[in-house]
Amino acid sequence: MNLIAKRFINFYHLSLIFFVLFCIFFIQNTFSAEGAPCKDYGECDEFKHTLTDMSSLQRGASTYLTYCYGCHSLEYSRWNRVASDLEIPEEIFFNNLVFDASVKPGDLMAGSMSKTESAEWFGVAPPDLTLVTRLHGSDWVYTYLRTFYEDSSKQYGVNNLVYPGAAMPNVLASLQGNQQLICKQIPVIAKNGGEKRDDFGNTITKEKCGFLSVESGTGILNKDEFDKLIYDLTNFLTYVGDPDKVERERIGWYVVFFFIIFTSLASLLYREYQKDYH
Amino acid sequence: MSTITKVFDWVNHRLPIQNTYERHLSKHPVPKKVNFWYLFGALAAVVLVIQIVSGIWLIMLYTPGEAAFASIEYMMRDVDYGWVIRYMHTTGASMFFAVVYLHMFRGLLYGSYQKPRELVWIFGCTIYLAMMAEGFLGYVLPYGQMSYWGAQVIISLFGALPYIGESLELWIRGDYYISGITVNRFFALHVVALPLVLIALVFLHLVALHEVGAGNPEGVDIEAHTDQDGVPLDSVPFFPYKVLNALVGIGVFMTVFAIIMFFFPEGGGYFIEYANYEEANPLVTPDHIAPVWYYSPYYSILRAVPDKLGGFAAMGAAVAVFFVVPWLDRSNVASIRYKGILSKIALVMFGISFITLGYLGTVSVTEHRKTMSIICTVIYFSYFLLMPIYTSIEKTKPVPDRL
Amino acid sequence: MIGLTSAFGAAGVPFAATPFIASWNPSASAKAVGAPVKVDITKLAPGQQIQVGWRKQPIFVIRHSAEAIKNLDSSLSKLADPNSDAIDEPYKNQNPTRSKSSEYSVLVGVCTHLGCSPKFFPEVEPKSWDASWTGGYFCPCHGSTFDLVGRVFKGVPAPTNLKVPPHNFKGNILTIGEDEEMS
Ligand code: HEM
Ligand code: FES
Repeated sequence: MNLIAKRFINFYHLSLIFFVLFCIFFIQNTFSAEGAPCKDYGECDEFKHTLTDMSSLQRGASTYLTYCYGCHSLEYSRWNRVASDLEIPEEIFFNNLVFDASVKPGDLMAGSMSKTESAEWFGVAPPDLTLVTRLHGSDWVYTYLRTFYEDSSKQYGVNNLVYPGAAMPNVLASLQGNQQLICKQIPVIAKNGGEKRDDFGNTITKEKCGFLSVESGTGILNKDEFDKLIYDLTNFLTYVGDPDKVERERIGWYVVFFFIIFTSLASLLYREYQKDYH
Repeated sequence: MSTITKVFDWVNHRLPIQNTYERHLSKHPVPKKVNFWYLFGALAAVVLVIQIVSGIWLIMLYTPGEAAFASIEYMMRDVDYGWVIRYMHTTGASMFFAVVYLHMFRGLLYGSYQKPRELVWIFGCTIYLAMMAEGFLGYVLPYGQMSYWGAQVIISLFGALPYIGESLELWIRGDYYISGITVNRFFALHVVALPLVLIALVFLHLVALHEVGAGNPEGVDIEAHTDQDGVPLDSVPFFPYKVLNALVGIGVFMTVFAIIMFFFPEGGGYFIEYANYEEANPLVTPDHIAPVWYYSPYYSILRAVPDKLGGFAAMGAAVAVFFVVPWLDRSNVASIRYKGILSKIALVMFGISFITLGYLGTVSVTEHRKTMSIICTVIYFSYFLLMPIYTSIEKTKPVPDRL
Repeated sequence: MIGLTSAFGAAGVPFAATPFIASWNPSASAKAVGAPVKVDITKLAPGQQIQVGWRKQPIFVIRHSAEAIKNLDSSLSKLADPNSDAIDEPYKNQNPTRSKSSEYSVLVGVCTHLGCSPKFFPEVEPKSWDASWTGGYFCPCHGSTFDLVGRVFKGVPAPTNLKVPPHNFKGNILTIGEDEEMS
């Protein structure tokens, strides 16, 4: 065993290992290319998907089909695939979640709205959302759906922090309640990192604007419930954007494992032959 | 004699199988001591095979023209394991450039382009050129937003040429915008014309290499000491030594390949850009457009020059200058190990500027970054243009006799 | 004799090449599209821009505020070609907007550098690409900048001002791609 270890650890192998580590490090999201920024919101809220949590995905699908599908198609995805991937029995799925009786199980989820008509209503046609989580990222979607606020200057009375000027009404307002942008008095931070105080020991504050706040009692859900709803919805859209992700990673482990074994065997064999000329 | 041997003999008298096999594979002498830098050529050949095989399967699934975008989603979702084929090809494209860049850097590091390997180097540079064209054409095929606007920028580069520019652009597109017509012709070039060129060039690259023999990191001429049969003393036969050595490298490489392909196929937005998940829209440029990582150093150079024709010329020169490296290097030694301090500094500066330019090419322009890219462009070109000077004035170390 | 045969053979090459090269020209069907488009401009508020597609090219229509028109000349020294002398300007010296209207600008939204579509940033505020930004267009591809009427600034990769397409105002309707008075 010791001998094998020694054979492995020489400069030659170390450099190869470094190369591999470098590649992995490079791919890791540490270095991600510039994607969609969260505009006035600052950093997007982080979203961690749980693609194996079927009940979350099912709730998300249900929310999507109830509130979003009227405008946004999922035109590259098929009804029966979603039902089977989400482990929803087809009967239940088609009776309770699909509101269009003419839909056949193998159809694409092509939406029910005509693109030109909707373009007249909204200024732009609501985009298809099959790939939205891959285009903007799940973080973006998760944040976008939670940052609508009242703005009477806009066509639908709402604006969005992540996507200023979005031509979409806040369809979930009845659940979330009326969200507004408010200003708050926040403590001024002194150079030493503590709060600044005046001569009487009172904290000095200054006004800062741009905070989101929901008028209490106006929504059916409280903040945590609403965040959970959007979490499930985003989780569902993450699945729709990349339906093979779980399967792909499962297979991936076997493939990587295979190549590691293969490399070790090839390496031992090579060492064996190298004795001939050293 | 068994039947098999008879058949083999019959063929061998009419086709030089055994001869070729022995000359170019089994008995072909290779230097006995090389390091991992010498593996990337073999790896590039492996990726070429991966690209061809996955590419042929992609053709079965892909629809050229303006329906291309939907056909990609079709293969990714509706076709069993279609995603394996596609991710193999997209990962392969990035890995191809990764290994080729390392392969080229090896050349600069150990002076592999020096006499008598100038032609090997020139065929290599031509392969690199053909790969850049191949990668560009392939990138247009999915007809996403980045495909569209990337192609718009590259095709418009030809518009910078005086007089003929604008009509040339129109001729390349075959339409007033990048339409299905353009995608169709790019498809033909990407899957038939350029792969043929690439394969032919790789063949020439290898034939030229086998004529003069492979180099080594010491820069020692192993042909100078041979046994009575003319076989270099410091060499080993290609089979099994070099093959087994390559096999280890291939194993490590395939592990990396699989990790990317199955776990990070988008490579954090560098291998498949996020904006390409939206179908091409001729009316709106995405907020942030950047080329895929393997072109970004040149893209930075383009942006560093505030002039249309000048930017195009600088970009072209940055690639073209590789071709003349064998004549820019005036050193009496090949390997960086025996070159002087000036060469070492120059190579390190070049490496840093290349990577920095690559990074700058993927992010948006600000005033500060623009200055940075100008500085790096100057360093990039200085590495080459000053090479005749620093390689001839510096003091080199004596090269050993044997490997 | 060798010379004659080779010369004759070589003379055939251009003929043989012609169909291969000419088939890349825009086909009759590609040439056929491109009818003028009409837009109703009443909904446009001062300071606002809309975008319409004409021949698959983005066209910007901007309604300027009186103040913006007044300020157009304040950054004259930073412009590369304030009078559009370097290009074929269809409505030269008619209006500061470069169009046929004193209030609206009509521009081909294709960057004269390498063809991206510049973004509209009308605000007067410091931007990452220019600390003394006075409103205009910024091209996301290589950072070319243009003022509110599409005139290119100095020191950017774009060589010329944005083009003005042929157009015509009739009441509230703007027609892009056709101008009876010109023809
Ligand atoms: C020589 C090396 C090659 C390189 C560097 C290369 C590169 C690329 C790239 C970057 C794409 C775009 C991938 C995407 O974003 O989806 C692509 C697509 C494609 N390639 Fe290649 N390719 C190579 C060889 C080939 C060969 C030999 C074939 C076929 C014989 C082929 C067939 C295709 C097809 C059909 C597509 C379109 C499908 C798609 O976009 O996924 N490629 N290639
Ligand atoms: S295309 Fe606009 S700056 Fe290059």
